[in-house]
Amino acid sequence: MLANLSSNPDDKRTLVVVFLRGGADGLTLVVPTEDEHYYNARPRLALKKKDTITLDGKFGLNTNLAPLEAAWKEGDLAIVHAAGCEDTTRSHFEAQDLMEHGGFVAGGWLARFLRARGPGRSPLSAVALSPTMPEVLSGAPSAAAFQRLSEFSFGQKTTPNFPDELRRLYELEKGPLRVAAESTFDAIRRIESIDTKAAPANGATYEEKDGFHQGLRQVAQLIKADVGLDAASVDLNGWDTHFTQNLVIDSNIKSLGTGLAEFRRDMGERMATTTVVVMTEFGRRLGENASLGTDHGRGGVMFAMGGGVSGGKMLGTWNGLTREMLEDPGDLPVWNNYRDILAPILAKHGAPADSMGRIFPDYALKPLPIFG
Amino acid sequence: MKPVSRREFLLTGAAAVAFSTAIFRSAQGLLKDGRQYFGMGLAKPLDGKIQPPANAGIDPVAHALNRLTFGASPGDYGRVAKMGVAAFIEEQLAPQSIENGRCDRAIARFCDLWGEPLGEHYEEDDESLSPILRRVTTLRAIYSNQQLFEVMCEFWSDHFNIDPGKGDCRWSKPGDDRDVIRKHALGNFRDMLRASALSPAMLWYLDGQANEKRKPDDKPNENYARELMELHTLGVHGGYSQNDVMEVARCLSGWTLRSKKKVGGFIDFKMPGGKLFKDRGEVYFRPEAHDGGAKRVLGQEIPGGLGEHDIERVIDIVANHPSTARFIATKLCKRFIADDPSESAVSAIAQKFTETKGDIKSTLRAIFATPEFHASAGGKLKRPFHFVVSALRATNAQTDGDKGVQQFFEKMGQAPFRYPTPDGYPIEASAWQSTLLWRWKFALAVSNNKIDGTSIERTKLQRQLGGDSALMATLLNRSATADESDAFLKSGDGLALLLASPGFQHC
Repeated sequence: MLANLSSNPDDKRTLVVVFLRGGADGLTLVVPTEDEHYYNARPRLALKKKDTITLDGKFGLNTNLAPLEAAWKEGDLAIVHAAGCEDTTRSHFEAQDLMEHGGFVAGGWLARFLRARGPGRSPLSAVALSPTMPEVLSGAPSAAAFQRLSEFSFGQKTTPNFPDELRRLYELEKGPLRVAAESTFDAIRRIESIDTKAAPANGATYEEKDGFHQGLRQVAQLIKADVGLDAASVDLNGWDTHFTQNLVIDSNIKSLGTGLAEFRRDMGERMATTTVVVMTEFGRRLGENASLGTDHGRGGVMFAMGGGVSGGKMLGTWNGLTREMLEDPGDLPVWNNYRDILAPILAKHGAPADSMGRIFPDYALKPLPIFG
Repeated sequence: MKPVSRREFLLTGAAAVAFSTAIFRSAQGLLKDGRQYFGMGLAKPLDGKIQPPANAGIDPVAHALNRLTFGASPGDYGRVAKMGVAAFIEEQLAPQSIENGRCDRAIARFCDLWGEPLGEHYEEDDESLSPILRRVTTLRAIYSNQQLFEVMCEFWSDHFNIDPGKGDCRWSKPGDDRDVIRKHALGNFRDMLRASALSPAMLWYLDGQANEKRKPDDKPNENYARELMELHTLGVHGGYSQNDVMEVARCLSGWTLRSKKKVGGFIDFKMPGGKLFKDRGEVYFRPEAHDGGAKRVLGQEIPGGLGEHDIERVIDIVANHPSTARFIATKLCKRFIADDPSESAVSAIAQKFTETKGDIKSTLRAIFATPEFHASAGGKLKRPFHFVVSALRATNAQTDGDKGVQQFFEKMGQAPFRYPTPDGYPIEASAWQSTLLWRWKFALAVSNNKIDGTSIERTKLQRQLGGDSALMATLLNRSATADESDAFLKSGDGLALLLASPGFQHC
């Protein structure tokens, strides 16, 4: 069944998109430890330099991301600060839509990338480890959304003719519901051939009760099972820290750091053909608010981790946090557009050069050197 | 005689305080479980001749049932055909005059709790209220005869979405459901908006309770102010600016509530002066935390010094804004007509909304009278909650609405009150197409009595309805096509097949 997948090594590359929903505070994940304006604006929330892991002359990594230090030192992890989109409504939904759509267009950029790579891909070419399909995959040639691989079957003995008769009725349908049914039947067949109980490789351990960890674990299973996975989407929610930020954000940061590190360990050599990109709809305002939290801002932070990444350094533009550099009402601006980070990654994953204008319409790309 | 509340009951004996409310609740639950399960079933008796739909297409009677209810149950088609669609719409727009004994029985065991003052909800343990709220909501959707009212409660619960998982909301969301959503679901939009703005659950969910300005450089918390305009009223492109968000936040600064969850994660277990938690959830205004200066919201001046009256000005400005009429009209048209409603329908409905100053009944009546509504039969995809409830209604199921059913909502990504962000579950079909496998699994499970707490009498239902074609017509709200009848017979599990089929996903 899997023999018809191409043997072209490019076809084995998988892109994993991690979306931090709610607007993650980039200034707490990757701290500008040399900038006095950061300390002045956040008298109660700022992290001291000695409480971070030194990355370079300007930034320190939140200690809850310590598991990622190895990837940074080994050159597999690159970080872009002041990253985000041009949306200025500071609305979660507008900013997420724009960053998932890849422009003011319908459908997701990941979906358009999959289409640009051409037909004949696996029915499990794209998966979302979430209850519903995220916008980034809206319009994908085939995509499946679920929370557990083992859920992806009829789950009990059906009468012998049931699946065929059901399929027949959906084939008589027109439009998206018919396509959705076809993808579902194909995915059921593929997933039935995977041993979902197998332990992770290289001693990797995922937290049993952490939904983000379990999502990554199952992405790893799909990749290692060679089902033809081109792209996966995994969400980590709960970053909207208007109120008592330090109390709520630490566990999320820890989940992010250990999840990505264990995924990298589990993947082993397969990491060479995998890229993980971490993004969020916006960062948060530089100044803390009166309720020990931060409000919606503009520039956030993005990570790229994987084989070939020009890692161990901060990429892109950073102009510091002096007042004249900030955007009203006191936000870190977006100096690095998310498309300029995604475009080189999609190119590495086989997007034809002439397809970028379709994947990211109406935008003049200035790609960052993510792969050197 | 005034019923004795649990709180008063507990206070009548000195030793009674030692009893945990949980033990009391479970004893109470047992009594009522017994009444429900051993005395009065929830399935309809289905006496007499039942008239199933007989048309090949979805006729106006079937269409009205599809859109105004969570799905027809056996006998509904005949009843509405007899009374006429217009009379059915009027009946549904006056829910207080609809007999609802079956639903009352289904939720009887929870009624004492629902009637209590909000403060007493705070006596419940952390995890008990939200499952009860999900359960009651599910049971009402299945068993209530006030179907349009329940449909609108779902609509407004999405519109003013609150995930009870945040802070105090686990105690205060049931009160929001009662005092905001259900109280105003068929009432006036401005009244509902005003109730929502100072609902204890909303004050927690969107951080209004933490919105304060005490010192000149304090920045008010913008969370509620933004969602008020973006999601509750004008819509994101409705013509407000970042400055309007900040001005509204200033207007609303100072409102807060007596909460249970304290900053820093400490839970206050004190029972001051034997009051227990009576004053928990009480909303009040702190002048010292309010920004008393003049403001300008959406071009309108709000003079300084109005204090706690700023909120009335803000609610009036946003409720009466033309973008709000369009935004609400568009959303209602999406729910009742099509995912992509025509401009003519939206502007007619927006006009009715404006004309009636946000009267929800009049607005709905106008929607059901549009040519677009009549032309839209069968064109919408049921959302997962609608799909599951319609299957349980169509099969005349007996269910407790508990975990067995709830887990299917979760797998399909639409458990009641579990949407984490303030925009509420999406209305459009595109968000739900990836849920097909779980719909198919539910169809198999319900047809074969494999869901805990839920049962159907398959052969009895088939016999009562008068055979296969009547069963198929009852499920589909039209007669089955030749392909559907053929697949029904060949599948070996016809009931599951039809519930899983594309025809049953649409409404």
